[in-house]
Amino acid sequence: MSCARCASPLEVGDIRCAVCSLPAPAGSDAPARTTASILRCDECGAAVTYSAEHVGTRCPFCGAVAHLEQPADPIEAAEGFLPFRVSPAEAAAALRSWMDTLGFFRPSDLAAKATVDHIRPLFFAGWLFEADALVSWAADSDAGSGSSEWAPHSGQVPMRFDNVLVSASRGLSAQEVARLASGFQLTNIAPEPVGATEAMVERFDVQRSTARAIIANAVHGTAYARTESGQVPGRRVRNCHISVMVQALQSRRYGFPAYVLAYRYGDKAYRAVVHGQDAAIAFGDAPLSIRKILLVAFGVAALVLIIVAVLSNR
Amino acid sequence: MSADDSLACQDCGATLRFHGTRTTRCPYCASPSVLARPASPDLPNPDFVVAFGISEASALERAKNWTRSRGVFTHGGILRASIEDVRGVYLPAYLYTSIGSASYSAQIGEDYQEIETYAETVNGRTEMRTRTVTKTEWRSLTGEWQGYFRDVVVSASRGLPNAELEAVEPFDLRLLRRFSEAQVQGWITEEPSMQLGACVADARQEAMQGLGQTLDRLMPGDSHSDLQFTSHFEREQASLVLVPCWVLAVRYDKEKPPVRLVINGQTGKAWGKAPLSWLRIAIAVLLTAAVIAGLVVAARGRP
Repeated sequence: MSCARCASPLEVGDIRCAVCSLPAPAGSDAPARTTASILRCDECGAAVTYSAEHVGTRCPFCGAVAHLEQPADPIEAAEGFLPFRVSPAEAAAALRSWMDTLGFFRPSDLAAKATVDHIRPLFFAGWLFEADALVSWAADSDAGSGSSEWAPHSGQVPMRFDNVLVSASRGLSAQEVARLASGFQLTNIAPEPVGATEAMVERFDVQRSTARAIIANAVHGTAYARTESGQVPGRRVRNCHISVMVQALQSRRYGFPAYVLAYRYGDKAYRAVVHGQDAAIAFGDAPLSIRKILLVAFGVAALVLIIVAVLSNR
Repeated sequence: MSADDSLACQDCGATLRFHGTRTTRCPYCASPSVLARPASPDLPNPDFVVAFGISEASALERAKNWTRSRGVFTHGGILRASIEDVRGVYLPAYLYTSIGSASYSAQIGEDYQEIETYAETVNGRTEMRTRTVTKTEWRSLTGEWQGYFRDVVVSASRGLPNAELEAVEPFDLRLLRRFSEAQVQGWITEEPSMQLGACVADARQEAMQGLGQTLDRLMPGDSHSDLQFTSHFEREQASLVLVPCWVLAVRYDKEKPPVRLVINGQTGKAWGKAPLSWLRIAIAVLLTAAVIAGLVVAARGRP
């Protein structure tokens, strides 16, 4: 069932739309005639009253308490799992390929001498959301500026958000999830984990209301970034403020495949992450080569000394 | 059939009367009854309830805190006042939501700095100096805004006007439940005594205030002025909700009517219009005047 005003889906237990607050339709249980009734205790039959202390009805005679049903705010499980398309061996190879791309200041033998301690497949928890939004914005930019280097601008723009990934993971940081986000293929989504039998499955450990707040923040954050970079005229922007009216917001809870790798170089352990579906996406921590850094520093210092000496001898 | 019609108590058969309330207690056996009746345009059935979370003892404690924390110009009797007639009331209110649109215009101030040359006399000689001054360039800005108005709660009770309800808001509407008799049995549950149209007008007024604050936050620039807007509301919805309030009488003077204290039955936020002590205000004014006069006299007496 969807909200009649903003077309966002209503979930079981919702009494109002989470996006626009329109009340969800209720079953018609209005009485046909006027009556005066007494609610009775299931234990002793005496009349019960609502108790603020017990948040439910309490019998003043036998003390029996019937707690009222709380508003639905469950911790929800993943609806599906994206399959692993990268094997552990491919992930290890991807790690070494990534090491080769790290540049001059890393140890030359990093890929050769690093030893992989463990490769841990993981289904990290995340939401994918889709929504339409009307964004009203106002900002200062250098476009059309006069005496001041800033001029005010405003606008209103419709936006479409398709499959934006929002992290619910505790194991991966938000930055790590943002780097993984681009490589997922939303096909062959299975109801159970697929492709790595030993994979750890992260749970969604926030309640529905918290999840909605996180997603609402993500919608706002994404709309802000798009407005600031794509809507405000000019090259420099400041004081960008937006107001977002969301419609047809749909979110789905998925387990996303990734590898978390621990490797050792010398005496130290480092952590890296490899995408579970696209081995080209790998990143993590890596050691720096102190020898190379010192060599460059000495080289630069020597060069500066030579230039100073040449200039002073002129 | 109106809410004031008489019905029989299910326990003892005595005649029950509901005077503008949805609940009552039998005058003979004290059994709490809840009225169930078909909805009518003038008297809709509640859609939602925010349940009481503050007990009577806790409400009394908060009332005592309120009397103890009044300002120095409050009537001295408030500190020693007796608290009487404690009643937990489910107050009828409308929960209003809509889509709002606005066209706005404002003057936006963009600051910039200029180096200014000025003349200054030093030791009898005029010297030219420079200083950096901040100036403001004012630019006109117009724009459109659209968004949801949510969670606007306005009183539907003539007994507790909207201004008093606003003073103890907000209610945590995440704990909103569909109305059921179990939540109100044993508590005074007032029927709506204001027309829906009047309540929606109040809600629009509140929404307009919220819109003004929203547009104020939207404005760019280093400063802004002359923010004006016209607004339009559509897809409006008003649902009848029962909100919990403790209403207490604070008797501070036997000769005068008591002060009504309202406490949010969910959060404990208290509001009442404490009487002022004109004697204390007069003494403060006289003391201030005396101090100013003393200072003036002292200043004139100096050589």
